[in-house]
Amino acid sequence: MRLGRLIGKAVLAFAGFMAVFPLLWTALNSLKNNVDIITRVPRVVFTPTLANISYIIGRDSVMTGLYNSVIACGVAVLIGVVLGLPAAYAVARYPNRWAGDIQFFVLSLRFLPPVAVAIPLMVIWLQLGLYDTLTALIVTYSLLTISVIMWLAIPAFQAVPKEVEEAAFVDGYGAYSVFWRIALPVAARSLIGAVAFGFVLVWNEFLIALMLSSSNAKTLPIVASELSQQGMNVPWGILNASVVLLSLPPLLFLGVLSGFLNSVFRQKKT
Amino acid sequence: MPRRSSLPVTFVVPTLIILLILSMVPTVYAVVIALQNRELSSTAYSYVWFSNFVDLFFDRRFLNAVWVSVKWEVVTVVATMAVAIGLGVLMFEVASPRLRNIYCLLFIIPVLLPRVSAAFVWKFAYHPLYGIATYPYRLLTGGLIFDPLSKPATALFAVASVDVWQWGLFFAVIVLKLLETLPPQPIEAARLDHARRWQIHAYVTLPMLKAPLISLMFVKMIESLRSFDLIYVMTRGGPGVATETLDMYAFSQGFIESGKVSYASAMAVLMMIATVITFTMLWKRVQA
Repeated sequence: MRLGRLIGKAVLAFAGFMAVFPLLWTALNSLKNNVDIITRVPRVVFTPTLANISYIIGRDSVMTGLYNSVIACGVAVLIGVVLGLPAAYAVARYPNRWAGDIQFFVLSLRFLPPVAVAIPLMVIWLQLGLYDTLTALIVTYSLLTISVIMWLAIPAFQAVPKEVEEAAFVDGYGAYSVFWRIALPVAARSLIGAVAFGFVLVWNEFLIALMLSSSNAKTLPIVASELSQQGMNVPWGILNASVVLLSLPPLLFLGVLSGFLNSVFRQKKT
Repeated sequence: MPRRSSLPVTFVVPTLIILLILSMVPTVYAVVIALQNRELSSTAYSYVWFSNFVDLFFDRRFLNAVWVSVKWEVVTVVATMAVAIGLGVLMFEVASPRLRNIYCLLFIIPVLLPRVSAAFVWKFAYHPLYGIATYPYRLLTGGLIFDPLSKPATALFAVASVDVWQWGLFFAVIVLKLLETLPPQPIEAARLDHARRWQIHAYVTLPMLKAPLISLMFVKMIESLRSFDLIYVMTRGGPGVATETLDMYAFSQGFIESGKVSYASAMAVLMMIATVITFTMLWKRVQA
């Protein structure tokens, strides 16, 4: 039994190592000169350079991509919050006979294959003259953010103790001020998790952005993937640096999202 | 709760209308385009009705793409669940609460990465000459070359490994949290009956978690449909057509090779019908 536990611990430690090592290695490579990357035996000791990172930050295409990503994702998430949270609250707190169907409809939007949405949208945006604009991207992404934020916010609102809200009604609050002053603040922690999840989802989105942009509205994932289109001739360090830049924003939410996971399962337990 | 309030209507109706418009317009339009013969290169088009769909059934590359997609679904879903349950149970058994928290944080990192990033990280790692993941092989064989992404037999698995790296580790965290919600009594009882550790999990805890585990598998099946980013960056469907899934083929037909938008849309419509029917049926069963 002792040996079994030891092997188990070793397997776990290896899995933990595998979870982060590839990313750390990429981060390390972004600090290397090309001669230190293209070696048959991986080099751990090298003279670090900031050239790759400053090259990436100095490139117009990367900065435009970053700007597009921030605006498209930011606005889409904002729309998702404004439309998704109230709807989620109403479904959670005023259940009627359609509540189940509404939830299923919102979830079923996730079944739609992205290509099936992107091809017709491309034709539609072309006809409207909005192809390759941030507006087109924001509207398209709103479908994702509204549905995901709503789907995750319903259980978050359901977890707010009903007594708190009922007490507020007794105190003379109206339905809307209960939502604003009671439900939103009490559920805030879980809601932030839901919103962060929505952000990560559209930040990481690739296929729709690829199909709906050709030059002006390219988001960061598209720009990063194009850097490698020139084959492996592009200095690897630069590619690695762009991967690191692309990965940083979602990782900023690591704490929020893992807290969100914990709160979801704590509810289940009680 | 006050029974008479305008809140449910004012909160739900606008959102639902917008969601309906945003989802129904493209879906209906996808069907319309699929019945036409649009091409990217020209603006003229006419209705050809079902001829795109008929052509698809005689298109061997399409049939190959269906087969690759099915393989991709099965490989990624099975491997993800296996990794998740294996590591989840291991954490539950041998890790102290402190360590569990650390592992949980580490295991969430890969899934947060944009798939494009994950694909690049591993594309570098799998490089036959300079990759870190192929280094052990070079070391052990004295410099032999192994190129997993350019061999038809291994390419799909190499790409699938990235998907499992992202989702399997993440789901391991969820399996652990699910195990932690279980009441301790049945486990104690099994222990008193001298059940071995693996027997406790195989016959007591995992059957108790059957419903959430099936939901988890359901989520993974949906997410596995989104394989495009990984495949686009890592292999572009190659070598040959070994990793060309349906969305990759639809994309290359519509945009890279021939610009046959209608043909690509016909493919997308078939995918949409298949997934919506399958998942609606599965979901109703999961809920029942």
